[in-house]
Amino acid sequence: MIPTLLGVSIIVFLMLQIVPGDPVNSLLPPDATEEDRQRIKQELGLDKSLIGQYFSWLGNTLQGDFGRSIIKRLEVTDLLFDALSNTFILAFGAAIFAFLLSLIIGVYSAYHPKSWIASLGNIIGLTGVSIPNFWAALILIGIFSVMLGWLPSTGMKGVGGGGIGDTVMHLIMPAIAVGMTTLGVMTRMIRSSVVDLLQKDFIITLQAKGASSFIILMHVLKNCTPTILTVAGLQVGYLIGGSVLVETVFSWPGVGQLIYQGISQRDFPIIQSGVLVISILFVIINLVVDILHAVVDPRIREA
Amino acid sequence: MITENTEHYSTTPTTILKRKVKKEESTSQKIIREFCKKRTAFVSLIILLIIFSSCLLAPVIAQYDPLEGDIKDRLLVVGSEGHILGTDEQGRDMLTRILYGGRLSLLAGIAPVLVAGLIGSFLGIVAGYFGGIINTIIMRTLDIFYAFPAILLAIGISAALGQGINNIIIAISIVFIPPVARIAESAVKGVREEEFIEAAKSSGANNFSIIRYHIIMNVFSRLFVYCTTQISISLVLASGLSFLGLGVSPPNPEWGIMLNNLKQQIFINPLLTIIPGLFIFITALAINLVSDGLRDALEIKE
Repeated sequence: MIPTLLGVSIIVFLMLQIVPGDPVNSLLPPDATEEDRQRIKQELGLDKSLIGQYFSWLGNTLQGDFGRSIIKRLEVTDLLFDALSNTFILAFGAAIFAFLLSLIIGVYSAYHPKSWIASLGNIIGLTGVSIPNFWAALILIGIFSVMLGWLPSTGMKGVGGGGIGDTVMHLIMPAIAVGMTTLGVMTRMIRSSVVDLLQKDFIITLQAKGASSFIILMHVLKNCTPTILTVAGLQVGYLIGGSVLVETVFSWPGVGQLIYQGISQRDFPIIQSGVLVISILFVIINLVVDILHAVVDPRIREA
Repeated sequence: MITENTEHYSTTPTTILKRKVKKEESTSQKIIREFCKKRTAFVSLIILLIIFSSCLLAPVIAQYDPLEGDIKDRLLVVGSEGHILGTDEQGRDMLTRILYGGRLSLLAGIAPVLVAGLIGSFLGIVAGYFGGIINTIIMRTLDIFYAFPAILLAIGISAALGQGINNIIIAISIVFIPPVARIAESAVKGVREEEFIEAAKSSGANNFSIIRYHIIMNVFSRLFVYCTTQISISLVLASGLSFLGLGVSPPNPEWGIMLNNLKQQIFINPLLTIIPGLFIFITALAINLVSDGLRDALEIKE
């Protein structure tokens, strides 16, 4: 995990290096002397070698210092952590929506391949992977805010503001938009793995023994958990990544919104730190998934 | 007496010849026949061809200027006279802008897959064929890219490179190289131990010609189908980056940025607002269906 995180930090650091233009020039008035240039360079640490710059940047980052936003003149760390908690709420809501619904639809359509739910599962599996989630967000706003007036399209106040009821109302549409792709991928995957399992010998033995359908379902679920976990772990990354785009549609005050503002104002420290923090979280989440794997699957534990 | 039923068992040279002639069909013909049997895949292919050709022929088909609009005619509804798909927030004809914009959107969907397909296959084939330390270096380096959620890596790179469709293409290409390389590597590993490779080696073929004549031939169809599925992802990803303002600069049309410009109008003219996204969605869906059909026709298991 440590080599991966170091690799991530190197790539994010290199991203800053390919930004066109000299950052010193943008901070200096046109009539600045060469002395001023050197002084600013020294202040920013740009007089060191590339490797030296990397290590001082890494040192600062490890201490939680992400530098200052160029435009907002604020510590990036403060901006980032407020936004991060809001993004988490969104990704969490999307995960609940996608995981639960895909489990229900996936298992049900494996049991009843001719039912209308199975056809719905087919459609979800197909559209989910093709639909741009920021477009799905706009359609949801069009239906539930503009035409029906049931749900608010913007105005999420962030953690602590507005209370739980208000947050949930704001959460419904963004969570569906973000979770849509995951829902499609997981529904397809769960259905096919349950279909495979139902043909296994041990299930037929259970049926022959006269086990109730509930007990058989429990056996099926227990056996497809490792597969579901693997895919779900990867999907968490898509959920957080997807929220970046959807947040801009709903003015959701998360990391995505921050990155979007960073892009339009060419405020690179914000973009860079946003990408770095979310990627580190993604690595940690995948580590947790690996550990969970060993917990639920004795075959992995013993290997 | 020989009846028709016993014809199977007859081994006269003429019957064998007849049977062979009947079954003679090249692989590509078989693939095309299998593909056309699947109605959804075939219809999707036709829809794709229509979208592609009308975007290519945009200057011929479109009756308006994509950049100039009449401010008096802004936000006309879908189905207005003279403007089938309405007009945007500056009174420019939507159909015209969709057609012109599609050129860039489709380019940004296809080009990264081509670039990543070439570079990724090269890296994966080299890593899989030579194995050992070369494999470790290439594959472990590429593994680092899996630590990023794809969209964030693309945003980071293309934001660093600056606004522009070219930079979006570069960013998405980088995102797609690791998965292509992984598929190529595992496919090559499967082929490497086959007896015909050993035979080629013992007959004195060098690495280059083994890779060229045996390895590539055997992994190509798998890589090709994988790459076609990536086109739809690339299209959606590229339009997402463009939606964030990383693509073309206004007033140039492109599906992603058009959607962003129109998103404020959702309360005034909802139907109009969703049109650019509808084209992204239909194109991506059609590409997915075509590649599903291709996979079935080529009999490739996931």
